[in-house]
This record gives sequence, C-alpha cells and structure tokens, in this order.
Amino acid sequence: MLVYILQRLLTALVTLFGMSVLIFVLLRLVPGDIVDIIFASAGFVNPAAKVELARELGVDRPIAVQYIRWLKDVAKGDLGKSYRYDVPAWQIVKPRIPVTLELAVLAILIAVVSGVFTGVVSAARQDSALDYALRLLSLAGLSMPSFWLGMVIILFLVSWTGWIPALVYVSPREDLRAHLLQFIFPALAVGYRGSALIMRITRSSMLEVLREDYIRTARAKGQRERPVVFSHALRNAMLPVITVIGFEFAFMIGGLVVTETVFNVPGVARYLVDAILWRDYPVAQNLVMLIAVAVVLVNLMVDLLYGYLDPRIRYGSG
Amino acid sequence: MGKRFHRLVLVALCTIPLASTLFAAQTPKSGGILNATLIESPPSFSLHEEATISTAWPMMSCYNNLVLFDPLKKQESLDTIIPELAEKWTLQDGGRSLVFFLRKDVKWHDGQPFTSKDVKHTFDTVREAPGITTKLRVNPRQLWYENVESIETPDALTVAFRLKRPQQSLLLMLAAGWSAIYPAHIPVSELRSKCVGTGPFKLKEYRQGELIEMVKNPDYFVKGRPYLDGIRYTIIKDRSTRYAALQAGRQDIPFIWEVARMPAEAAKRAVPKLNLIESSTNVNDHILVNLTKPMFKDPKMRLAITLAVDRQGYVQAGRQGAAILGGVLLPKPYGVWGLPEAEQKKIPGFGDPAKQKIEARKLLAELGYGPSKPLKITVSTRAIPIYVDIAGFIIDQFRQVGIEATLEQVETGVWHAKMTRREFDVAVNTTGIGPDDPDANLYENFKCNSPRNYSAYCSEEMDRLIEQQSQVLEREKRLRLVNEIDKRLQLEGARMLLGWSKEYVVLWPYVKNVVPHQSIYNYGRMQEVWLDK
Repeated sequence: MLVYILQRLLTALVTLFGMSVLIFVLLRLVPGDIVDIIFASAGFVNPAAKVELARELGVDRPIAVQYIRWLKDVAKGDLGKSYRYDVPAWQIVKPRIPVTLELAVLAILIAVVSGVFTGVVSAARQDSALDYALRLLSLAGLSMPSFWLGMVIILFLVSWTGWIPALVYVSPREDLRAHLLQFIFPALAVGYRGSALIMRITRSSMLEVLREDYIRTARAKGQRERPVVFSHALRNAMLPVITVIGFEFAFMIGGLVVTETVFNVPGVARYLVDAILWRDYPVAQNLVMLIAVAVVLVNLMVDLLYGYLDPRIRYGSG
Repeated sequence: MGKRFHRLVLVALCTIPLASTLFAAQTPKSGGILNATLIESPPSFSLHEEATISTAWPMMSCYNNLVLFDPLKKQESLDTIIPELAEKWTLQDGGRSLVFFLRKDVKWHDGQPFTSKDVKHTFDTVREAPGITTKLRVNPRQLWYENVESIETPDALTVAFRLKRPQQSLLLMLAAGWSAIYPAHIPVSELRSKCVGTGPFKLKEYRQGELIEMVKNPDYFVKGRPYLDGIRYTIIKDRSTRYAALQAGRQDIPFIWEVARMPAEAAKRAVPKLNLIESSTNVNDHILVNLTKPMFKDPKMRLAITLAVDRQGYVQAGRQGAAILGGVLLPKPYGVWGLPEAEQKKIPGFGDPAKQKIEARKLLAELGYGPSKPLKITVSTRAIPIYVDIAGFIIDQFRQVGIEATLEQVETGVWHAKMTRREFDVAVNTTGIGPDDPDANLYENFKCNSPRNYSAYCSEEMDRLIEQQSQVLEREKRLRLVNEIDKRLQLEGARMLLGWSKEYVVLWPYVKNVVPHQSIYNYGRMQEVWLDK
C-alpha cells in the first residue's frame, strides 16, 4: 500500500510541475500584457512610461527568469503582488478560498447524495414510472449548463418572491440563515448537473452489479431487498462512481466560475476570470495553480479510495 | 360674496394640509444607507490615475474639488458651477490668472487641516510641473492642464493658477469629478488603496470584488450634509443579477453607466413604481479611419465611407433607439456646444441614406473599386457586445455599397494599445468626454500628436482654430467658432461621428436628488442625496 501511495504522490508532483510550466507559458502567450491594460484605462499608451512600468513590475525580464523567480517566491510562501491592485496577491486570494471551498463542498455533497440515492432507486426500480421520471430529471440536469440554471433560479426568485439571496458575503457567525440561503442556491445550480451524471453512472453500475451471481445468492438466501441493494451491491457499484466524482470535481470549477458571477459570490473561480482578462499574472497563475493542486489532490484521494475499495488495485500496482 | 368667501376659506383649509404634506415630502430627511451598485472593483481608488467610471463613481464621495458642477442641475455649463473647497474665484490679468480663495474650516479625513499647499501639490503632480517629485503611475488628464504655467500659493487660503493664455475651459475642467484635491501629506501611491479626502463620506470598509462601504464624515465642512449615514457600493458583475437585485429592492440605485435601454425598460415593466430616467452619457460612437494608411488619405475615400452609413439606421439597429444624432460635441438637448440639428443634417452621412449610398458607390467607382474589384478592409472593434453590435451594423452598411469588410474583435485590454500603435484599417469606437466642454474634447481627440487622436488626423490649421476657440471668453462667439470646428472635423473625416448614446437609470422613487447629468463622471458626490423612507 505504501508503494502504491508513494507512486501516486510522485505522479501528482510531476503533474503539478508540468501544470506550473503550462500555466506560466500559456498565460504569457495570450496577446497583450498588463502594462497595456493599465494604460488602457487612460485610453492611450505612453511608450516611455510603459517601459518604466514594465521594469517596475518585472515583466520586462525573460520568461525563464520570471518563471524561476515565481517558483522561488512560491517556495518561500510569497505569491507576489497583484499588478492591477498593487497589493499582495495572497491578500486578494485568501478570503476567497473558503468561499469557493464551501460552495464546492456543498455542490459536490448535493451531487453525490442526490445522485447516488436516485441512481440506486432508479436501478432498483428499473423500467418503472419512477425510473423513467428520475432518468428524465437527470437528462434535464445534463442538458442545462449550471450558469443558465443559476440565472433561471435568480429570475424565478425575483419574479415570484421579490427576493434574492445576499449579494455581499455573509459569514455564518454574522447570520447563519442568510449565509445558508446565500450558498444553497448556487450549490444547487452547480450540484444538479453533477448529480445527474452521478445518477446515470450509479444506475448503470448498479444494474450490472445487481445481475451478479452473489446478489442472486444473497436474495436466494432470503436477504431482504434493502440490505442486498445498499450493503452488497452499492459498495461494488461505487468504483466507477468514485471516478466520476473525481472527474466531476475538476469540471465543477468551470461551472463555479459563472455561477459565482451570477450569484455574486466572492469566490476564487469568479476572480480567476478577471485576473486572466487583466493579465494579472501573479494572481492568475497562483489561482490556477491552486485549482490544479486541488484537482490533483482530489484525484489522489480517489486513487487511494480505489485502493481501499478494491484491494486488487493496490496489489496489482504494488 | 359671503358664499364665495366661505368657499375660498374651505379651499384654503383643504389646500394647507395638502401643501404642507407636499412640502414635508420634499424636505430632506437625514439618515439611512444608500445601496449603490458597481460592476467591477475599481482598478485603484486614485482618481488622478484612472479614467474609468468604476473609480470615479464611488471615489467622488470621498473627495472635494475647488469647484463642482451643481449636482442638482442636469445640464453642466459655466453657469452651473458652484463653490466647494474654494469659496469664490476671480479671473485676473485679462483672463491669464484664475485665483481661488479657499474655505478655512476644512479638514482632511485624518484630521489634518486643508490648505492651498494641497491644491498646488495636486495640480503640480497632475501637470507634471518641473521639479515635482511625485509621479502618477498613469496620467490620463495631464493635457487638461497644458495651459497652466505655474501655480502660486501666496497664503494658506489663496491659490493662483497662472495661465499661458486666457482659457475659460480650465474652470470647467476643475469642476469635473476627476479634479479632486489630494492631500499633500499622503503619498499618491497610498491613495491607490485608501482614500483620504475632505469629502462628505469616509472609507469604512473595502472588500475587493465585493463592496466599498462609505460612512458619513461627521466633520464635513458643509453643515447638515451629507444626509445619508453611509453608502454601500456593492460590486455586481452580472447584468441580470444587477437588475434582479434592483427589482428585489436589495439595491436602491443601479450602476449609473448601465446604458442599455431594454433591460432598464424590462425592470420598469416588472416593477412599475421604479423611476426610469433617460439621460446622456457624453459618450459618442464613431468610425475611425487610419489616416497613416495611404488609401485613406484620399478625401474621396473617406467621404465614400461616411456616406455609406445610414445614421438613423445606426440609432435604431446599433443602439436600439438609445442614441441621438450629433457631431463632434454633444448636441442639444443634453449638450451645450453641439452643432444645431439643421447644420448637422447637412453633414455627409446624415442625409437621405438611399441617395448617399448611390453617391458612395459613385465615389468608390471613381477610385477604381466596383463589383469586379471590391474594396476590402478590416473593421476592428472591442470585443464588447455593444461595440460588436454597432460594428456589425456598419459592416452591413459597407456591404451595401460594395465594400467587403471583415470584423476583427479586439480584447479590451489590447484595444487602446492597438489604437495608439494604429494597427487598424477602420475601427468602430466610442469616446467618453469628461465635462461637456470644447477644450476637454478637442485637445484630447483632434490635436496633432495627442495620444488619443487614434486616426492620426493632423492639421496645423485645425490646431490653430482649437487654440483660438479656447481663448475666446465671449460665449456666443466661442460657440460659433466651435460649431465651425465641429463641421470641419466631420467634413475632413477626422472622425466619422455616428451619434451620442443615451443612458437609462432605473432607481427607486424614495431615492432623492440623484440627478443624472449629461456627463456620467461628474455627479457622484452624493452630498445632497437623501432617502424618503
């Protein structure tokens, strides 16, 4: 098991290094630079002042030098200074991390709980009216982009109730009810799509497992249906579902970008788009790196969970 | 007589309570927090280093000017300028000295006294006076103060602007929202992330990307002002969410540069008690031709291009009716200096579209272009929906006279750099003018070598005329000269004006004294705003 974990950790480190190079280079391949953008506000570019500003920001140095400096700074825990706002990048990023994390965890919880549950029910009641209804619901979830669903929720709320959730972050200590109301709707918008995918994978995986001999044996031995489905079948059916959860987490970050904007939730994902548009390299590259680390960690956890759920995997790799 | 008298008494008795109710309704009430809206975090709080309304709108409430356009009057002009930090001012030396006498009861938000040194420090920094050590990171309005020779402070409460030549417009530019007075005792770099002003509101909290919260300045030098206890500028990026927040009553006023007519009207339909105010933005839409390219140097080519575009069509299709036709300066009823309608109609491009298209085709044929050899150009514009909408309309108009145009969408961040480097054939652009004033507009956009003169139009004669109008102190005489310049610039194709966009401000009726001006940059002080709740 230890070798298996070490192998996965090494793979994660190599992936992160590759990501860092890719993020750094890709950001700088986008046309235009921060100095042009700072001057854009004035409506003109003053060549002499531009050179001076580029030197001040350090973007006049060769890319390789900038990259090494970034790695060194990150290693020291220094994320640099936002070019646009002239304040430490960490000062901008820090308050946003818990917001996005909470939203992501809520969304994934909604996706997993409702997706797995409806998937199991749908498989257990195959070809019934309930199965058809749940499949239709999941198809709708897959067809609706989360930002669109978010807009529909907002418009529905304002049209029918004349109310919308708070537009400025409300901490749970300040007002728990307002906090939950602020997060539940975006989490639903993002989680619904994820639940649809998880539901479909759970259903097909469950259908496969429910036809296995050991399930038939359990039933023949007089086991009641609920323990057969939830204790015997579900654990073995979960392997592909866990893969999808890991995959869905990465995909969800994309959904959060727009959903955070629609619900005006001050998270990392929303800010990332702005940082890229402004070529605010210190903020953008550190945020993308942060997301990359999160995705790699989740995938690492999925791999480890795989090993736990199916011992053949760790033995095979070991 | 007796009956009539009784009737009169009855009417009077009924009218008195009604009148007193009306009067009471109009008596400002103190208190309350105004929920205002922004669409993005300001790049910085430093008014003198920015040119975006995202900075001007919230930061105006923190600072004061020497003078200001009366916030309660819709149309800005010399006649609507009111004192702020200057109690009074006079023109001396035949108009070559503008002397301000300052208030003595003013303190900065940090308790330091305000003096003439602060005024000198501010404008010496902005005009980059010789010997000044403070430097702005970006200096968008240095040109405004080109005519200032020196700034003198004979005592702590007097400031004299010595001018190279008489210039009436300087006072207008000093009245613009951008012309805040900075504290000399605080480095400019610090003012990028905090505001220390003398204004009616102090900065309470700033949560980047979320909100800017201002709180009433209890030591404000205007007694009884501001009425509000504070202002919360919530940053809402998504337009649908902004309107939903307004309809739900979370926001009291929208972002003032919302512009789009349809969502504003939809909000009004959804909540009929909202007030919808139609106003101007002092932003014009125009076509730029790159005059450094040989093909556009021929006046016939420029004439063909401007004749190809139906201006009424632009108002309807490009702006969904939310624009008025006009030339280089903002026309009436919003502006003061624009060409009269009858004159504007005579400018090529503003006449009968069918006849003009025939004429454009004829001109192109004379230049050797026709169905077998169409003129092929690229139309560049910013990758922002309203720009793309207008550019799409222009391309279709070009197609109707046989010009094959390809659309190039340029990301905002790269746009001005590209324009400054003149990397375009034809561009569709918009320009916002601070105060409605000929100097603020003409120097910046049409003088040779101005960095914002994107088309590279340059005429010594025009430069001379621009200088000349600036020195004329008599209003009518100056207006005639400005009209002449406006016509010439349009006829020479320096910029092919399409029109001036209108804005639509939707706000709750209990918000009082938010009066949109013809320029969005000049009425954010919020000193007079109150809530009738």
